[in-house]
Amino acid sequence: MRISQQAKQENRNKILTVAKELFITKGFEDTTTRDVAQATGMATGTLFNYFPSKETLAMHIVRKALQQGYEDYKNRKTGEENLSEELYLFIFSGLRKLQPYHSFLGPVFERSLSPFPRKTLCVEGEATKKNQLHAVSRIIHSHGFDMSENTMISIMYWSVYLGILAFWVNDESPKQQESHAFIDYALHFFVHAISGTEPQLRNE
Amino acid sequence: MRDNALLNQQQHDTELLNLLPKAMKDDPTAEKLASFLDKISYKKIPTSSFSRMWLLGSLHTKVTAGYLAYWLKSRFADEDKKNRLKNEAHLAAALQLFGTMGYLRGAVLKVGQALANLPELLPDQFAEILDSLHFEAPAMHYSMIREVFLDEFGAEPEQLFAKFERKAFAAASLGQVHRATLHTGEEVAVKIQYPNIAQTIQADVRSLRLLLQTLRFSDQWASLHAKLEDIEQVLLQEADYLREANFYQQAAEMFSNPDEKIIVPKVFIEFTRQRVLTTEYLQGVHLQEFLAQEPTQAQRDAFCHLLNISSLRPYYQRKWCIADPHAGNFIFMPDGCLGLIDFGCIRVLNDEEWRLNCELEQAVIEDDEAKFEQILAKASYFDSPADMSAEHLALLKKFSLWAFAPWKAKGALNFGEKDFYLNGMDCFIELMRKGYTQGDPVYLWSNRFILGYRVMAYRLRGSAVLSTIFQQERPFRYPH
Repeated sequence: MRISQQAKQENRNKILTVAKELFITKGFEDTTTRDVAQATGMATGTLFNYFPSKETLAMHIVRKALQQGYEDYKNRKTGEENLSEELYLFIFSGLRKLQPYHSFLGPVFERSLSPFPRKTLCVEGEATKKNQLHAVSRIIHSHGFDMSENTMISIMYWSVYLGILAFWVNDESPKQQESHAFIDYALHFFVHAISGTEPQLRNE
Repeated sequence: MRDNALLNQQQHDTELLNLLPKAMKDDPTAEKLASFLDKISYKKIPTSSFSRMWLLGSLHTKVTAGYLAYWLKSRFADEDKKNRLKNEAHLAAALQLFGTMGYLRGAVLKVGQALANLPELLPDQFAEILDSLHFEAPAMHYSMIREVFLDEFGAEPEQLFAKFERKAFAAASLGQVHRATLHTGEEVAVKIQYPNIAQTIQADVRSLRLLLQTLRFSDQWASLHAKLEDIEQVLLQEADYLREANFYQQAAEMFSNPDEKIIVPKVFIEFTRQRVLTTEYLQGVHLQEFLAQEPTQAQRDAFCHLLNISSLRPYYQRKWCIADPHAGNFIFMPDGCLGLIDFGCIRVLNDEEWRLNCELEQAVIEDDEAKFEQILAKASYFDSPADMSAEHLALLKKFSLWAFAPWKAKGALNFGEKDFYLNGMDCFIELMRKGYTQGDPVYLWSNRFILGYRVMAYRLRGSAVLSTIFQQERPFRYPH
């Protein structure tokens, strides 16, 4: 039986809603695709028509959240930010949208974004990486630096970003306050490395 | 540019060496220490903001590190060579750790007189250093401020305020202060705390406790341990701006009469959270700028009078020990009013501490020497004055009499008189040098309270008639 595009979209949304709920309540590791399919009221095989793996499903949630974060960043940006400040705004706008999923994102990132060689690549993970690097490349470019694909700067940024995500998912401090300080540090470090300039200080 | 930087560095080196205790310079092992200190002082990490947090960057910090080293070293002075070398290795490791602590340097600065000696300093240098003994949180850029606001209020600064200045106009302990305007038109000062500072304080104090483990068999360990506990508590309380807001409100009650010319800014509690404190903005200048205007003696005296009231009323009425009085916390207003703008570092005396302080005060006022000595011994954890060395007791008495001198002064007391000032500072410095620091942790704060206000009044070169102030502020009388 063929189903309409609208019904497909509805199913997709339903799967995403149910998966978010299960990941938050049971955790990513303890939730199976079968659990998601059952709770959605569809066969496991049918679910795979929409999302080929649990990782893809979770990373889709991540990618959408980061996209919303990117929109927020564009709205919040004043144009007066220096490079590290703007990157901070960009990264935090994304993290705020990821915040509701903070409890289950550790293993998701580990499996989908790991920079180490893997048998299978997570399509959504790769798309997330591409989107992030593209957005950052534009930011960096607007401050007079170049960050083309696969250049040293791009690799460096991605390493810094993965470090930030790793720190953030492990951050149990109230409102992830430790991450604020860490990200500030990390970005000053990155910006100094690519620009050779020193950020302006409060009393200077 | 580079040559200039080098020249500045060399000047700093010379200044540092000049400031270090003479004993440290003459002692060959201290040379090793100095060179080690030198090495870690200039360990280069790429950005300036890093250097503020990770390097022993400023002169004052270097001096404090030097004194910390000296103080630690002096604990080992009597030991044999083998032990001394072992301890110096511990000390090197301790200093290495100290150099990597983000905020603890500030904490050590803050309680400098307790953890690190400040001997051999000229009184003016002491005044200057005491004045800069506060936490130095790193600067926050505006994007970070916005995130703090989103965490605390769920709204951006621009949504909360009609106008919010992106750049900070002052540094604060643990954060920075921005000017803003409320939608109702009031000009306000918004103090914002650097994220995660409370946890950092706890982690740093833990590290300090660890690095001081080498002293655990010394007779002062219990006292030191208790002091660290107390320091941690007070610093953590300072990180709670809601608590500070409460102190502001209590202070406003105490100074509600505008004719008294002491102004406590209003707190806007709806714009205040644990990490954000919004208060009325006071027009005026800090002490240094006030002095640069070459005020008349009458103006100096008037402010000196207000300064004394501002410290004694909270002490007598609420048992507050305002433990961090420095120039940045007072506003000299154009209409002759004194603005009080920081209530973060307040140590409230408990009943036992209060009773002991009152007894000490009474003993001084009534010239009851036996009682006076007995209380000093008790405060220093001795059973009786006979258990103290004659030198220790004499120095402590001398310092306490200096601290209480205003209570006994007849007529106006000139706080700007150098001999009076030197008398107390020398005595205090001598107590520190001799290692006579054992005692109840509360004296960390009451010493800072007394010394802080004395330094302010000395720099102000003002006089005040204390007898009138005591009569007015002390809510009780001693039988005579």
